Amino acid sequence: MAKAGFLESLRKSQAWKSIFRHGPPNNSRNKVLAVLMNVFLHLHPIRMKKSGIRMSFTWCMGGITFFLFLVETVTGVLLMFYYRPTAEFAYSDIIALREHVPIGIMREVHRWGAHLMVISVWLHMFRVFLTGSYKPPREFNWGIGVVLLTLTLLLSFTGYLLPWDQLAIWAITVGSNMARATPFLGSEGPGASLLNMIMGFDVVHSGSDAFCVAGGPRGGRGDSAPLLRFALYIYPASAALLMAVHLASTYDGGISGPFVRLR
Amino acid sequence: MPAPKFPEAPETVSRRTFVSWIAVGWVGFVSALGLGLTAVGRLFFPNVTFEPPQRFKAGFPTEYDVDKVDEHLKKAYGVWMVRNERGIYALSTVCTHLGCTPNWLEGEQKFKCPCHGSGFYKTGINFEGPAPRPLERFKIGLSEDGQIFVDKNKKYQQEKGEWDDPDSFLELA
Amino acid sequence: MVAKPDNIPIVAMLFLLLFFTWLSIHKAVINDKLIDAGQDVENKKEAKELVYTWPDLVFSEFICTIGVWCLLLAWAIVLKAPLEEPANPVDTPNPSKAPWYFLGLQEMLVYYDPWLAGVVFPTLIIVGLILIPYIDTNPKGNGYYTFKERPFAITTFLFGFLILWNLLIVYGTFLRGPNWNFFGPYEVWDIHKLEVLRNVNLSEYIFREFGLNGGKLPDNPLLRESLGILLTIAYMVGVPILLARKWMKKTYEELGAARFYIMAVLLISMAALPLKMVLRWTINLKYIVAIPEAFFNI
Repeated sequence: MAKAGFLESLRKSQAWKSIFRHGPPNNSRNKVLAVLMNVFLHLHPIRMKKSGIRMSFTWCMGGITFFLFLVETVTGVLLMFYYRPTAEFAYSDIIALREHVPIGIMREVHRWGAHLMVISVWLHMFRVFLTGSYKPPREFNWGIGVVLLTLTLLLSFTGYLLPWDQLAIWAITVGSNMARATPFLGSEGPGASLLNMIMGFDVVHSGSDAFCVAGGPRGGRGDSAPLLRFALYIYPASAALLMAVHLASTYDGGISGPFVRLR
Repeated sequence: MPAPKFPEAPETVSRRTFVSWIAVGWVGFVSALGLGLTAVGRLFFPNVTFEPPQRFKAGFPTEYDVDKVDEHLKKAYGVWMVRNERGIYALSTVCTHLGCTPNWLEGEQKFKCPCHGSGFYKTGINFEGPAPRPLERFKIGLSEDGQIFVDKNKKYQQEKGEWDDPDSFLELA
Repeated sequence: MVAKPDNIPIVAMLFLLLFFTWLSIHKAVINDKLIDAGQDVENKKEAKELVYTWPDLVFSEFICTIGVWCLLLAWAIVLKAPLEEPANPVDTPNPSKAPWYFLGLQEMLVYYDPWLAGVVFPTLIIVGLILIPYIDTNPKGNGYYTFKERPFAITTFLFGFLILWNLLIVYGTFLRGPNWNFFGPYEVWDIHKLEVLRNVNLSEYIFREFGLNGGKLPDNPLLRESLGILLTIAYMVGVPILLARKWMKKTYEELGAARFYIMAVLLISMAALPLKMVLRWTINLKYIVAIPEAFFNI
């Protein structure tokens, strides 16, 4: 009795009301407000098709992907307290992280979370294709989804370069050599001499891409910094931006199925 | 009482002026954007990158056995020294497919790349797997003190017919 | 090697794929039966029933999140994140493998030159995926599982995603050993396994094996590779035209020329991978067109 009274008065306090600006979501009005007035939840539409949000229909893979992106962002930022992105320090920083930090599972969560995110993104695409959810009016959002999938793979690629171990150096060696084989642009791609004749130099050649992509793994200086910036700042930022667009696009017509007026 | 001065009729902007100002605006916008993008792009292509010395001494010719692939310079300089009956050549240890380092398999007498399975004969000619062309050879010769020198700045490619160049092969009597 | 922690995701992926493929086919069969019985699956009343995002969706998202977080924590506690030796620019590990999700691409590099396998094909995959909604004009099957209403789309996608992408990853992960040689599932990874893979170009077949031009390769690369170039053009241009005129006439009329030819080029590019794989395995064919002088090999 006394407890209920306390809760009651808490709910009526000025502080409570300033934080939760609507009543408990047990009626239509408050259910709408719960989604509308919360910056995180309001990426959702307010109402959705019941058939479209059933777990056996969506497999929840899109939601899991979004959650894993948040996990990767948070653990990534935390790991940066210990990690310096240069060839000189990267490897020893990872060793130090493993040896000096109690309950050291932060890198494990980051690593396995990234693997899991690749899986959930692929399964999300698999589901969206099989339910035909890319069909009008969601054609453009499917395209954004494909770009996000590519970004996820690029993030994973740059992510495993960070420890600058054997996996990293040979991955980037093979990667930058592939860039060199780009038709016309690369110094070892078909049509290379054509562009060279016009411009007077190869756009992507062993010197430039080695620096551009990895800072010259063969050159001995081996500074892995430049590409690592992509992993640390540019890819996550663009992924976050596109994800917001991707999620907000469900406003028009929900996440799947025929178009129904939702608002 | 002087008649109140009416403001003059507002200056009209002629169609021609309007269009030309729009054009100036667009040109300015596009060039500013282009300049910005060029600056960003150029940031990734510096004029100078730092690399270790590319010319080094590789010992005396007598140190190499006939028909053997010598691997002692592989780690430090990235070359295999191969001696045949006629002389010595310096083979690059960079796979011509995607840049991994192949291994010399003595039993099978071939270089084999662990990344995508390309295989090369002792001469450097590719014969299996995806490598599109033979391994490269480097400039080789005798310096004044009788030691062999290898210069990685100059490379010779078989598919361009450059292995006939006398600098790509050290003839030993 | 096979049982290392980095391979756990692909094993998990394999089972997840089996399960979800089964689940979606199961649901498609149910829907197809309803459609056969004359029901409008797309517009039936239940399909359009609306619920509030709070609590219906938010709660199931919440439950999912907690589940995934528990799984991730358990995984992180049980298995350490792998770390290899420090980077060494002159010593490549043998075999040198990319993480599992790129092994399909790595396997592709065995059959096609880097400019195709590393640049053109990945670009085509991305562009092709983005174009799907604009090519597939079939209005049916929007928002529910079905097979009968879109058999071609589903079959093509399952072939591409399950066989070309995921099976190739499994192949690269478990059946490729030292020196990137093929090893059977229970074979020991012996570094000295001898495998003769002497690859021959199409031009070498014609001039050396069949003795054209006195067994000598012509000096002019265009002349030397003329048959390969003709075959490639026939495949890239001729097959789409044949598809449009003969084998897929009905689809051509439905889609119109632009849509159809874009789809056809994407389809035959996709088919080019298994084709070349078979040619490599059966007759050791290396390149159909081989002009290494200009870095142009197909």
